[in-house]
Amino acid sequence: MLPIDIRPDKLAQEMFDYTRKLGKGMENLLEAGDIATGVSPKQAVYSEDKLVLYRYDSPEDVETKPIPLLVVYALVNRPYMTDIQEDRSTIKGLLATGQDVYLIDWGYPDQADSALTLDDYINGYIDRCVDHLREAHGVEKINILGICQGGTFSLMYASMHPDKVNNLVTMVTLVDFQTPDNLLSSWVQHIDIDLAVDTMGNIPGELMNLAFLSLKPFSLTGQKYVNMVDMIDDPDKAKNFLRMEKWIFDSPDQAGEAYRQFTKDFYQKNGFINGGVFIGDHEIDLKNVTCPVLNIYALQDHLVPPDASKALRPLVGTKDYTELAFPGGHIGIYVSGKAQKEVTPAIGKWLNERS
Amino acid sequence: MSNDTFFNNDWLELQRKYWENWADMSRKATGADTGAPWENALDHWWQAMSPGASDLSKMFMERMMDQGKNIFRMAEAFSNQSGEGAATDGMSYWMKALEDMQKQFSGPLGDGDNAMQSMMSFWEKPLDHVQRMMSSMSPMPGDMFRNMEHDFVKERLDRALTAPGLGYTRESQNRYQELMRSAIDYQAAQREYASFYNRLGMNSTKRMCGFIQDAADSGKSIDSARELYDNWIACYEASYAEAVATPEYAQIYGRLVNSQMTLKKRIGDMVDNNLSSMDMPTRSELNTLQTRLQETRRDNKKLHHTLNTLQKQMEELSGKAPATALKAPATAKSGQRSKSAAKTTPTPADE
Repeated sequence: MLPIDIRPDKLAQEMFDYTRKLGKGMENLLEAGDIATGVSPKQAVYSEDKLVLYRYDSPEDVETKPIPLLVVYALVNRPYMTDIQEDRSTIKGLLATGQDVYLIDWGYPDQADSALTLDDYINGYIDRCVDHLREAHGVEKINILGICQGGTFSLMYASMHPDKVNNLVTMVTLVDFQTPDNLLSSWVQHIDIDLAVDTMGNIPGELMNLAFLSLKPFSLTGQKYVNMVDMIDDPDKAKNFLRMEKWIFDSPDQAGEAYRQFTKDFYQKNGFINGGVFIGDHEIDLKNVTCPVLNIYALQDHLVPPDASKALRPLVGTKDYTELAFPGGHIGIYVSGKAQKEVTPAIGKWLNERS
Repeated sequence: MSNDTFFNNDWLELQRKYWENWADMSRKATGADTGAPWENALDHWWQAMSPGASDLSKMFMERMMDQGKNIFRMAEAFSNQSGEGAATDGMSYWMKALEDMQKQFSGPLGDGDNAMQSMMSFWEKPLDHVQRMMSSMSPMPGDMFRNMEHDFVKERLDRALTAPGLGYTRESQNRYQELMRSAIDYQAAQREYASFYNRLGMNSTKRMCGFIQDAADSGKSIDSARELYDNWIACYEASYAEAVATPEYAQIYGRLVNSQMTLKKRIGDMVDNNLSSMDMPTRSELNTLQTRLQETRRDNKKLHHTLNTLQKQMEELSGKAPATALKAPATAKSGQRSKSAAKTTPTPADE
């Protein structure tokens, strides 16, 4: 038997089927209209520069907890991933558990924001959002959920302001930035970050996209679209896929100075592990994180490998440390059906037991 | 599918007849040039339909079409000749085809036939992405250095570029010399990067050979374009993952990015020099202003925070309720929330 035996008539049939599905898919795409993302109702309650702090409307039939939960998303990509569609929304899941959910939208930095440092982001923007919530809710401490890079920021924040953090949840957060399976970290080791920032100012979002796509280029830029042809004749699936596409390529530029420090201190110097990270006048020491910590990681995460997150346990000062492993990837942990059933209820339960 | 859509039954029927004819021709193995007219048909259809689609839908659809073309180009490349070489030589035919691919990776793409070249362009996708990105960040056309005769230029320029500048234009001469050196370094880094990808291509093809050999040994057979494509992707992705995880790749990648940034920086500096000579603001001056402005804003916000804290302390000491004192915890009844937070109008932070 020949190892490759594609008969012409079968190939012709495959081509025909492919184009038929494309045609049907095209109809669905034409009817898709604008792709809405960020579906849960929310109000802007605070703004500063390009930052907007949103509060999500709680369901009428759910008892809202007194301590608010602040979601700190990454600077890379947009935070509507957490609320991407009606039936796949981390935010909605959290609201259902009684959390009073706030989220920081960082906006799109431009060249005028290139001088923003990590100190500006963490001890400036985040701290003022936290103070706003403490004051508005009349509480000394709030709960924080940090996602991806936002988790790294949240860890630093909690280490510098332990008096303001009641509980800390980190999701798919890099702690050890130099695990052997971290490709992004490997690639950045020989890049002259100072030169790049001095040359470009802000780091273009397009460049970040390229880096992420380069992790699995054949799958992410090719095979993914072939797989989609099999599903695109379903209007709902077509729309869902378009939402994800919109999010994947909706990458804000990175403020130059913040990018410089983050990449050098963490990717190149592995600051949480080796120490020596200063944010403003504060030296970061995760032993100062004494509040309860729930650390959630994804077992098939190619951006934040599990070991990179699990490194947190021995570093924090808290005695109340919990880990949750999710059988999925970096994105699936927010949007998969399994995540809606397992992750958000677990976060809510964990918070409610401690608030 | 209803007939009132643009993708109607007539069109589908036409397509079906076309595929049948195409299959007939191939079956007879006449050697007639089947080319890829289906690609043209698809392109024509898409040109007619695409203006009605949103940008996102258009981009999405184009990617699916491109991938479809890749699948069927690949299948065509292997199925067109299956009546000839494959039937008589069996395994050796496929190995020969893959060896040809390896040669393509080790040499210029122009040597191959069209189908093979189209396939190769897909497997060079990661390299293509990087080059596009570099081009988009470059102040000069991205291909400018790709086609430059590197060795020739380097040999001729090396001596000239090491000559010291003379006279009152010495600094300007030095800047141009540095610029040219940076351009040559960048070109060398590009070549090194492309060479790495060629090796990756060869290794990937070797892996695919192994896969086909295993399939033959175990009596399995790939009988669809999609299966061939999926297996090929798996082989290439696995080879890619191994190669780019090496310290060698990290160094090559670093040299590519650093050399491009150096070149871009030198060009930016020269633009700044020209702007300065025309008494116009430069990027460097703007950077300084932005940094100073941000320092001022940072200090200003800290001062405001300190003032607010002091004011609250004074009000507490004087027995007055602070104007912005912490409120009582919100009640946690069904549907009840801290109205003060919910009703808050977006407020800019104190400057």
